[in-house]
Amino acid sequence: MDKRESLWDLYLRKGMSRRSFLKACVALTTLMGLTTDQVSKVVEAAETKPLPVVVWIHGHECTGCDESFIRSAAPLASDVVLSHIDLEYDHLLSAACGEPFERHLDEIIQKYKGQYILAVEGAACTKDNGVYCMSGGHTFTHLLKKASANAAAVIAYGTCAAYGGIQAAKPNPTGSSGIGPFCGSTPVVNVPGCPPIPEVMTGVIMHVAMFGTVPPLDGEGRPKQFFGNRIHDTCYRRPFFDAAMFADSYDDAGAKAGWCLYKLGCRGPETYSSCGNIRWFEGLSYPIQSGAACIGCANATFWDDGSFSERLPQYGKLGNADKIGAVMGAAAVVGVAAHAAASVVQKSQREAAEAEKKESR
Amino acid sequence: MKHVVVDPITRIEGHLRVEVTVDEGSGKVTDALSSGTAWRGLELVMKDRDPRDAWAYIQRICGVCTTAHALGAVRAVEDALGIRIPRNANYIRNIMAATLTVQDHIVHFYHLHALDWVSPVDALAADPVATANLQNNLLATYKLPFRAPNTYNSEAYEHDFPAATPQYFQQIKDKVKSIVDSGQLGIFAAQWWDHPDYKILPPEVHLLAVAHYLEMLDKQRELVTPHVIFGGKNPHPHYVVGGMPCSISMNDGNAPVNAARLAVVDRAINLGRTLVNNYYLPDLLAIGNIYVKAGRVDGGGLAKTRVMSFGCYPMESYTGTSSGGYFEGLLVRSNGVVENFGAGVANAKFSEIVAEDLTAPETITEGVEHAWYEYPDAQGKDLHPWEGVTKAKYTGPKEGTGTEWKTLDENGKYSWLKTPKWKGKVCEVGPLAKYIVIYTKAKQGLLGELTWAEQMMVDQIEAVSKVLGLAPEVWLPTMVGRTACRGLDCQVAAEINKFFFDKLIANLKAGDTQVANMEKWDPASWPKECKGVGLYEAPRGALSHWIHIKDGKTENYQCLVPTTWNSCPRDSKAGQGAYELAMMDTHVAIPDKPLEIAKVIRSFDPCMACATHMYNTKGERIAAITTDPYSGTKVEN
Repeated sequence: MDKRESLWDLYLRKGMSRRSFLKACVALTTLMGLTTDQVSKVVEAAETKPLPVVVWIHGHECTGCDESFIRSAAPLASDVVLSHIDLEYDHLLSAACGEPFERHLDEIIQKYKGQYILAVEGAACTKDNGVYCMSGGHTFTHLLKKASANAAAVIAYGTCAAYGGIQAAKPNPTGSSGIGPFCGSTPVVNVPGCPPIPEVMTGVIMHVAMFGTVPPLDGEGRPKQFFGNRIHDTCYRRPFFDAAMFADSYDDAGAKAGWCLYKLGCRGPETYSSCGNIRWFEGLSYPIQSGAACIGCANATFWDDGSFSERLPQYGKLGNADKIGAVMGAAAVVGVAAHAAASVVQKSQREAAEAEKKESR
Repeated sequence: MKHVVVDPITRIEGHLRVEVTVDEGSGKVTDALSSGTAWRGLELVMKDRDPRDAWAYIQRICGVCTTAHALGAVRAVEDALGIRIPRNANYIRNIMAATLTVQDHIVHFYHLHALDWVSPVDALAADPVATANLQNNLLATYKLPFRAPNTYNSEAYEHDFPAATPQYFQQIKDKVKSIVDSGQLGIFAAQWWDHPDYKILPPEVHLLAVAHYLEMLDKQRELVTPHVIFGGKNPHPHYVVGGMPCSISMNDGNAPVNAARLAVVDRAINLGRTLVNNYYLPDLLAIGNIYVKAGRVDGGGLAKTRVMSFGCYPMESYTGTSSGGYFEGLLVRSNGVVENFGAGVANAKFSEIVAEDLTAPETITEGVEHAWYEYPDAQGKDLHPWEGVTKAKYTGPKEGTGTEWKTLDENGKYSWLKTPKWKGKVCEVGPLAKYIVIYTKAKQGLLGELTWAEQMMVDQIEAVSKVLGLAPEVWLPTMVGRTACRGLDCQVAAEINKFFFDKLIANLKAGDTQVANMEKWDPASWPKECKGVGLYEAPRGALSHWIHIKDGKTENYQCLVPTTWNSCPRDSKAGQGAYELAMMDTHVAIPDKPLEIAKVIRSFDPCMACATHMYNTKGERIAAITTDPYSGTKVEN
């Protein structure tokens, strides 16, 4: 990897200005969720770090993570793949196939021993020695062990690679699990989500490309900057939850007014992900913003946590959902009480709207 | 004779292996085998789940055709429960479907198929000035002028016209040169770039196509923004049984959908039309024409003999698929099977697919003779989807061990895919099949008055036949024809997208904002037992989802997906499937570098995770979970 270019080398070779390079570094700093006083570190890294070699392998998956990755806008996936990393092996994008492609993988593993990043999409299938997931005439677990043993770090993209995903839902016919247990002592970064947000995917690999190290992780091995908040706490509908203003049914007056979807089974209160702040497609939307209850797809066991069409179980103990706002309001400061008062006005507006709707039927 | 294994086949979705035997003297393929090499068992996961959640689970079959399975699932549940969705929901679902088709076809052509035809290495020999001239000539020669009847013209000018300047192509050439010079080819590494097939195209076409490969990698993401507006994200947008979750309000800025949000959808739809008309079709026809002129009309296989389609795009909402409502108002009435198209459209035999065919026990079935499954109670028989069984029975390869394969056993079981059949026969599905069915129905006078979309499809075929100077039965059932029909399908889908967007706007303007019918949301309102089927014409062809609901839970669920139809293993009565026959119909120049085999397989746009089978067990007790949503307790049986 000694002869690989740094980002700055790349800019120099392209005849691009120092100014545009520095602007890119500022953008990257923000992208990686770092504060502005970290810019100098980003610049330093971009000047000196070589582009990392990346190997991307597929286990039990649906290719949704790959598809999500190429939807990234900032940075654009094409820039990441062609300029910021050296993607040497990927079933979706690589030109080659078959024997020469497998030989190339072995060469890359030897040549960049201990230096390359292994990206994994999909679960590890363990039942019956892993015969339910074969690639190149070998089991996926064989490939995973081989590729992870010599990697600098492993990125487990998506809920399948992190926790087992849809195929691990009960009764888990193929004995699928997250890939962590097959990676030996190589550090694993979990990036759950079904799929993860595109910019979360490129952001994690950009961090590695810039700093030559994995981003700060939480107790579950997830990058803190992207999994530090519950969707519920960053949700643009949160004020409606606090004010006890809920959609009771899809397409009712509350749903049309963008009120809280908690009663429709929303998993936002138990899900740690960036849907509420980064959102999808450059802040365009996320499921809750488009009127759909969150299914909690970044959670380890979300497939088996009960019907998505029923209200969250743990909040049921609080009793009538309409009283949640009142309970919280009582414990809150005056400002919130004022907000709640305003909410009462909105609530009466909603009731009027509902009455109007009934009449029109 | 040389036995050649290609595993993994890349630039597809999922895990696929093929093995061919090639006569080294003649380049003729004497035997071919295709094997789906993974099984995830989602069919078993579906058992006992809430049918209202089925779309979310079964959508995860595939993150490429990311909305197809969710739509198949909600349609199956709605068929079972007799739900009629609101008008707006039907328009929005059609927009979701057409959006998927446009984006998926563009990504397939440029990113999953182009590197079989186009070489970045050969692009370095191109003259940027000549390439710019070529670009302008292509637009003048190959731009097919077809458009849908439009209600609103919301585009002042076309925003993303191809840049046809020498400077632009010089820039791309420099970019590619820096990658090649670095010796680190990245995604371009280890390909058979010295294969003679890459010499068929002149260097300028290589450079033009590589430039568009890079541009489309950036542009494709913008095409799916309708999924993000209406479904919250992409891949895997959200749906709801009874309609769509995206409530519409014209007087609330906080509403999921309002005028500002619809403008984003409008922009994406117009971008799709620009990209297909100005990039995709001209590039495709230029490359296809050169290949056909070089005599490359092979790779048709089963398409000459039998193709099938289900029909698509319900004009208005309907009740019932298995009872017939779906077939009554389709914009593209391609429901049917065409046999013998290779002998010419006049000699082709057409059979309609009607509602009764869906419920008949022996019309649509699947067998497991060469698949790693068994039917314990129906050995040697084929089963209707509603009666389907999945019981894995792995038998290993012919040579090698169970976990390290050398060659697979073509005489025994060799794939995780079952063999779907129509009246006991295998069929090819996909855009090529859809075009052959519509063209045959139209030419044999079976459609009466054509819809605008059907007329456009017939016009497209005739325009391309003129460009190529060949009759439809000669160029359609080939590798080039299969790839070409995907581009034509993309152009029609881009117009259909605009057509339904206009209908949505007109309906909203008339005061109707309803997107969901929640009358049968509560499971207490459901019958004790019911069955349904959801049909959908996916980017890869005819898709059907089948559900059996009992006591408010999913008793049995399964999907017959396009790639299973095409890549199925052989059957002693029905013969070989589309992949295997297409490989046998393809000439291989260098057996050690079987680029033609990879190319003909990719011409089907394989989606293996979809194909790997979806059935539920019958008679076998599965550990089930019942959940009380308000206490959170789980009980395992």
